[in-house]
Amino acid sequence: MSLRDDFQPQWKLLLKWGWLSFAVFILMAPVFYTMYISFNELGFGAKYYIFTFQWYENVFSDKQLVNALGWTMLLALITLPIVIPFGLLSAKLYKQSTQKVWIIFVLLSPLFVPADILGSALLVFFKNLNKFFTFISDQTGIYMFETWFDLGIMSAVIGLIVYTLPYVFVVIMITMARYRPEQTEAARDLGASAWRAFWEIEFPQIRAGVFSACAFVVILTFNEYTRTSLLKGGFDTFTSVLISQMLNTGMSEESYAMASIVSLVAIIIVSVILIVTAVRTEQLEKLTRTVKEPN
Amino acid sequence: MANKNAVEVKNLVKTYGDVYALNNVDLKIAEGEYFVLLGPSGGGKTTLLRSIGGFIRPDSGNVTIKGQNVDNLPPDKRPTSMVFQGFALFPHMSVLENIGYGLKLKSIEKEVIFTKVTKMMDLVGLTGLSKRMPHELSGGQQQRVQLARALILENDVLLLDEPLSALDAQLRKDMCIELKRLQKTVGITFVHVTHNQEEAMSVADRIAIIADGEMLEEGTPEEIYSNPKNKFTAEFIGEKNIFNGTVVSFNTKNITIDIGNDTIEILNQGYKIKKNQKVSLSIKSESIEIIKNQNKSDDKLKVAQIMGTISEITFLGQFIRYLVLLKNGQEIQVRSPKEVKNIKLNDKVSLKWKLEDFLLHQK
Repeated sequence: MSLRDDFQPQWKLLLKWGWLSFAVFILMAPVFYTMYISFNELGFGAKYYIFTFQWYENVFSDKQLVNALGWTMLLALITLPIVIPFGLLSAKLYKQSTQKVWIIFVLLSPLFVPADILGSALLVFFKNLNKFFTFISDQTGIYMFETWFDLGIMSAVIGLIVYTLPYVFVVIMITMARYRPEQTEAARDLGASAWRAFWEIEFPQIRAGVFSACAFVVILTFNEYTRTSLLKGGFDTFTSVLISQMLNTGMSEESYAMASIVSLVAIIIVSVILIVTAVRTEQLEKLTRTVKEPN
Repeated sequence: MANKNAVEVKNLVKTYGDVYALNNVDLKIAEGEYFVLLGPSGGGKTTLLRSIGGFIRPDSGNVTIKGQNVDNLPPDKRPTSMVFQGFALFPHMSVLENIGYGLKLKSIEKEVIFTKVTKMMDLVGLTGLSKRMPHELSGGQQQRVQLARALILENDVLLLDEPLSALDAQLRKDMCIELKRLQKTVGITFVHVTHNQEEAMSVADRIAIIADGEMLEEGTPEEIYSNPKNKFTAEFIGEKNIFNGTVVSFNTKNITIDIGNDTIEILNQGYKIKKNQKVSLSIKSESIEIIKNQNKSDDKLKVAQIMGTISEITFLGQFIRYLVLLKNGQEIQVRSPKEVKNIKLNDKVSLKWKLEDFLLHQK
């Protein structure tokens, strides 16, 4: 969508862009400020500013932080190959189905449940599931299921899947809107199986959306606190370390550096997605404007 | 024309809720025939085509292709290839890759694919465009790529779903000639769906009229155009005028029909009718001659029949169309290759035709 209207005066257009830039600035100002103070040797609130990379060097020697970062990345890596196919299949089902309202309702409903409620509900669910498996184990003597849903990686990953699936679904669904199903029919007509038609014809055209969805899952996993802290069990995630430091001892200078690193990575990922999408949109618009040569 | 049937459809039914998309359709298409399914939008012709191709599973009935029942076969297992309405080229593949995709699926060697694709591109007039991407092609070229992609598999039947609907009028005419030439060259059966009469007449060996899920009639283009048996066909094909009336009297030679405020006499071409029977009459717009006042026609076989008033004159390039208002309030179309002298709006005119130009359709 363009902000431009051919009959609009120039000052109105400038005003719109100015307002947009101001809104972005307001939203990003805390992030940029965190990055700014992460380079100050004297830390947050100091009167003077001495530029240093020291805190960034310290980050990688802070074992608790690095450990937490590792656990968070592990959660992201486990969640990705589960939630992406789920989201992809859901988007395909939505496209083919006549019951679109129900699909949207079911898939987007986790977005409308507050994080603490959803986390608590899942916590209670897993606790009761464990009780049930313990009962089954006592009755049958088969103990293999007993610890499956103890709070830990499994429960944290399930919580993340519930949290990220709506986003994955929406991102992939938007990308799929451009894809014309006649191409799948054409591929099938030429002899392709359903899998080959998807992998060789459909996926190359929607993979930008799939990769965007992957980026979203990683960013959301890093940003997620409430659900994960209720369901993770004994290990630390990056946000849980940051927040507990903040609550107990105040933010350490390494925390600012770590937060800046993560924010920068997230900004780069989102910026790349936006730029690629904008370039691709421009290319597609160019194609539709291209004058065709005679046959 | 060969005697064997390439496609046979028996008692095909397809419903969507209460709507009959196909209602007991029977069809036989001979081998090597260019067969056209013609009809209004929403009439069921695409549903029929897709049932033959395996994209739609009918509720009942069966489809055989070259004697083999294909009811339980998906599209990739049927000996058919389809050309889609919206081109359906793969935008991330070049022309060469698009055309060769079907062969690649059959695990044919790359060199063989290259040779076959190059030959096919020459056949359809795409020489030198192998590296182009679909978005770099014109509409006509894209359609040729689709054709090549379908023909290269050497299946028994080629299905074409409104293949020319996205093209402009001139290009459509050129592609009709091209399609006919291709079909004669490769010799396989083409089944072509369209709602465009001119397109159908240009390419077809035989035409079937499909409307409201039923096959109303079939025949050669000449038969369908000049001697439609069905009232719907008469209304749909060409610019025909339909008169509804009642039989007043008849003998072995002529029939007189009351159309309300006027009577029309037509030739009795062996119709089985009764007095007071409700019937429909049709006549082609180009078969009517407009004569000013009571002047005689140059063609002595044309007999003055009814009077009317000119309500509209439209110049359409190749001919001029006159709308004439009759006494019974009906407006009929008259097509003339040249301007009728001294005729202007609101003039009173006589309409003349040969008796045998009228066709009778019984209700």
